[in-house]
Amino acid sequence: MRTAQEIGGAAAARTARGASLRTESLTAGYGGSPIVHEISISVAPGEVVSVVGPNGSGKSTLLKGIVGIVEVLSGSVHLDGADVTHRATEEIARLGVGYVPQVDDVFAPLTVAENLEMGGYLLKPKDVPARVEHVLDVFPQLRRMVSRRAGKLSGGERKMLAMGRVLMLEPALVVLDEPTANLAPQIAHTVLDEHVRRLALTGATVLIVEQRARAVLAISDRTYVLAGGRVRMEGTPAELSASSEFVESFLGGGQPAGG
Amino acid sequence: MRPGGTGRKATSSLSIFESSVAFGLITSAVLAIASVGFTLQFAVTNVLNLAYGAVMIAAAFAAYAVNQAGVTIWVAALAAAAVGSVLSLFLNRVIYTPFQRRKTSPIALVIVALGMTLILEFGTQAIAGPTNVSYTMAQGPMLQVGGFALSAAEIAMIGLSLVIMAFVHVLIRYTRLGKAMRATAANRDLARNCGIRTDRVVTVTWIITGALCGIAGAVFGMNAGTFGATSTDVFLVLILAAVFLGGPGEPYGAMLGALVIGVATEVSAAFIVPDYKDVIAFVILLTMLAVRPTGLLGART
Repeated sequence: MRTAQEIGGAAAARTARGASLRTESLTAGYGGSPIVHEISISVAPGEVVSVVGPNGSGKSTLLKGIVGIVEVLSGSVHLDGADVTHRATEEIARLGVGYVPQVDDVFAPLTVAENLEMGGYLLKPKDVPARVEHVLDVFPQLRRMVSRRAGKLSGGERKMLAMGRVLMLEPALVVLDEPTANLAPQIAHTVLDEHVRRLALTGATVLIVEQRARAVLAISDRTYVLAGGRVRMEGTPAELSASSEFVESFLGGGQPAGG
Repeated sequence: MRPGGTGRKATSSLSIFESSVAFGLITSAVLAIASVGFTLQFAVTNVLNLAYGAVMIAAAFAAYAVNQAGVTIWVAALAAAAVGSVLSLFLNRVIYTPFQRRKTSPIALVIVALGMTLILEFGTQAIAGPTNVSYTMAQGPMLQVGGFALSAAEIAMIGLSLVIMAFVHVLIRYTRLGKAMRATAANRDLARNCGIRTDRVVTVTWIITGALCGIAGAVFGMNAGTFGATSTDVFLVLILAAVFLGGPGEPYGAMLGALVIGVATEVSAAFIVPDYKDVIAFVILLTMLAVRPTGLLGART
């Protein structure tokens, strides 16, 4: 485990002011049929909050409802206290929410540098180069691949770029959908232990969905456990680790299957 | 060309070759305007708009009407651009978007586009009449350019095409709108996550590519000499050949594809059988699809 000092540089990159997020009885799904039911969660400014649960428990749908990709059927989403339910996803992005989808998370035909530029689309053009430099300071490994096509990157590099892309707008809230899906275990731990920490160190609030419960607990301030589209448990990592029910269902078998 | 033979024979086949290349460059110039518009439209809007040729010819007739009123065709081409934009916007708003909202499959949308081709062509014919028309325009003096003999009007067509290619290059490489267009083409959901209002980008793309389509129609009319409501039916195949040769959705690929297809069809017309010149375009296209399906510049995975 690394400390903030060891990660270095990133601590100096703290620029964003984290936003608070709250959902109230959020029910969301596709084509009118709900997948998540009456979910109420809250994330305080600067917190790292994770959502874990088995496959098909509705974790991704919850995130998509929050960022406006999936239809909200009832309930509401509040960002810094303001009701943002039913806003289009591009409008939610403009409010400072950076969303990293599980797949198709980069502009594959564009270079790394162009991907970052696109991430900074809302910035004044003259501010973009400095901001790109800033993101390259947070993720120095990206620097030597700026002119490579994003589609040619490895899984871990690609996820780093996807996170760098959302950092371009100094997001107040970063929403990550299973950033370690389809990554080798070693790379997955780098993504969570280093990359997500770097995001958090910028000051942004982080809401992260993960299959790898044990690994994500280690970097979370609090965790919600979803099953069958509903919140089953919530608590700090210490509280959950002390719960025999949680340990048996979600940590007992070691690493849950990915996907 | 194989060297040898009598001197006279060599000279004459050389001059046939040169003049066919010159013809080819003019065809390429027209084709490039049409193909770049088509490929950009396809990339950003995700609609394979096969009614593109029908919009071209409707726009060509609009320019004809203005031309008949005594305006030089070079200015009347602006009317073609406007009509191309309006018709393309109409196709998107009234036809394609409602079908897309109903989750119509892309292949069904292609059938819709073919239907719109007939409606637009017969609509054009109903308004303009069944006889072919010609623009009133001066060809200007014949000029020698780099060994090719071209009329001033032909040089102007090539020049216009080059200006439009430069415009497209600057648009997609250096402007905010162009970057938003490329982002939307590459990954629409992710573009929205960057805060890009992709609905607007798509609308503006229909306007811009519609204008390119309209100008292509007017220049097609100039080059064809005479044209009727269905004159772009075969030309649409050349557009598709150029677009897929370069890699669908790749503007620079379409430029290159237009150059290859334009010159190859005219040169083959001079040396094989003129009737088969459009077949050559298709043979090139089929070969490319077999050997490298992503096209010359396509690198999508």
